[in-house]
Amino acid sequence: MRIIIDEKPVEVEPGITILEAARQNDIDIPTLCYHEAFGGQGMCRMCMVEVKNGATSRLVASCTYPISEEIEVSTSTPAIARIRRNIIGLLYRRAPNSEFMQLLREQYKCPEVRLDVNQEENCILCRLCVKACEEMGSSAIAAVFRGTDKRIGTPYDDAATACIGCGACAQICPTGAIAMTESEDRRTIWNKDFALVRCQRCGQPVGTPEQLEYIASKSGLALEFGLCQECRRKQAAVKVSGYHR
Amino acid sequence: MDKIIVVQPEKCTGCHTCELVCSFTHSDEFNPTRSRISVINFEKIGFAFPVLCQQCGEAACMKVCPVGAISRSAVTGAMEINDGKCLRCQMCTIACPFGATLYDPVANIVAKCDLCQGDPQCVKLCPSGAISYQAASVNSLSKRKAFAARFTDVFEEVR
Repeated sequence: MRIIIDEKPVEVEPGITILEAARQNDIDIPTLCYHEAFGGQGMCRMCMVEVKNGATSRLVASCTYPISEEIEVSTSTPAIARIRRNIIGLLYRRAPNSEFMQLLREQYKCPEVRLDVNQEENCILCRLCVKACEEMGSSAIAAVFRGTDKRIGTPYDDAATACIGCGACAQICPTGAIAMTESEDRRTIWNKDFALVRCQRCGQPVGTPEQLEYIASKSGLALEFGLCQECRRKQAAVKVSGYHR
Repeated sequence: MDKIIVVQPEKCTGCHTCELVCSFTHSDEFNPTRSRISVINFEKIGFAFPVLCQQCGEAACMKVCPVGAISRSAVTGAMEINDGKCLRCQMCTIACPFGATLYDPVANIVAKCDLCQGDPQCVKLCPSGAISYQAASVNSLSKRKAFAARFTDVFEEVR
């Protein structure tokens, strides 16, 4: 199917989203809540584009708009630029101390914050963490409350039974809003304390028991995970050498 | 049939050149901690062995990946990581029996041997010829199988 993106005719598979079609053709559309692993969520609205179909034209979120007709897409009109600038301006007001938002504010030339803001807040509610957790099969976190109180949390802010302490949420977070701390023998994330399995040989932490359980059940391989990465390498070499200390 | 990397530890001198080559090829710096191959040295008995991804048939890394970001390349037969899809949950780094899948915090990627798209640089620059890249023949496969058998023992021992 042939569509037009920014006056450039491109050949696309019907059913893929406008965002995917644009990225396949090296046309940049900014996003905050999109990830290749699970696609767009239609949440952040940064990917808004103008779609012309015959005489009608409208603004849509390109990450969730599947292409089914021969449409004409504009990715950067003045109206779209204004929308994106507004989104960044508002999110910056929500999390003014996050480096990620500060860079975006400069890029989109949004004004400085003049109102009282929550200095502690880093979350921009993109929900990448929620989707990542869902992909891990845990779904331990979600957006809770409504309106200005909306935030990401576990059910009743308790330690979620589903959480395995993998930290995928903290890894994917663009603003570093999710705290994961690791002390001598515990890992803490989302108000949940995890014991750490230590390497049988050198004592380095390998992971949480829940993580190892996840790996054992998913891989179906009867492997034991009593060793850290370095010691697993050593163990392989030890056996090849026939040398035991 | 795909080509595979065959390691002959009796030829390895433990010079760590492969680590430098690997990190330079993939990360533009000479930094063994960012290398996808690592040489384990036993200096007392004069034995060294480069450990790297075995491109397993039933790869644990691929099985534990929640989003299917690890798949076998149709060109080289290597297990490759799609960085765009990868969530950086690092389950594969815990699952790999050889410790050959590692998280690189500088580049924020999970890295493993990708056979350099069919032209492994460590093989090219190994001064003693301990690492070779050969067609999977009866000969090379039997060498690999001999290792595999020994590796199997490793895990029995760990258990």
